[in-house]
Amino acid sequence: MTGIVWPLDGGRPVMELVLIIEQTLQRVTRKLLADTGAGSLQAPFHLLLDEDDCLLCGGTPSHSVSLGGAYTGSFLSYSIDVEIPALGFADNLHAVGISGPVGVFDGIACFRFLNRFTYGNFGVCASQKSVIS
Amino acid sequence: MSTSNHSNPYFEQNERLADQINDEALQNPDSPYAGKFVGIVSGRVVVVADSSDAVVRRLEQIEPDRMKCYCFEAGIDYNRVVEIWGPFA
Repeated sequence: MTGIVWPLDGGRPVMELVLIIEQTLQRVTRKLLADTGAGSLQAPFHLLLDEDDCLLCGGTPSHSVSLGGAYTGSFLSYSIDVEIPALGFADNLHAVGISGPVGVFDGIACFRFLNRFTYGNFGVCASQKSVIS
Repeated sequence: MSTSNHSNPYFEQNERLADQINDEALQNPDSPYAGKFVGIVSGRVVVVADSSDAVVRRLEQIEPDRMKCYCFEAGIDYNRVVEIWGPFA
């Protein structure tokens, strides 16, 4: 099994996700901050994405969630198809729709999602490892 | 469809049902919904499955208008505030 490492952007770990625009089926890449401190395994979402991306990519409406800290209040969430070609990953995830980008990033990959993977330059999860080839 | 849930007339109806199901799942671990993903169309449960992907694929077959659809995970405390600190500092 070959591991991959977190790409860094400005010294911060990032994940590059591919989303699919519903109308055109065009694949677009989004660079998300990989933030293991964002949420927990029990969080009701995997990602924070620009709400426009959630809608353009045909996100199915999901439960409202309550955020605090940098984003405060009740936010809408969506079930959205996500791919990570480098990992051969494709699944439907729950993303909170936020207004605009997150600093220089297109969103945040939260701990519930990051915990699915093993990275060569990061912690190894005990239970929910994905095979990286 | 580029319509936010804020202006989606089906959203409130679907979320109301989702709240009822979620309350049941939280109070009763033996609930058939506990730990499952639930798909709703226009205020009616149409699919219960083990993954969000399975629910969304089924919803696509049932209802082409995604704004009438709703997919959520039952048994999660949606009222708990999740702290997100963002890329500061």
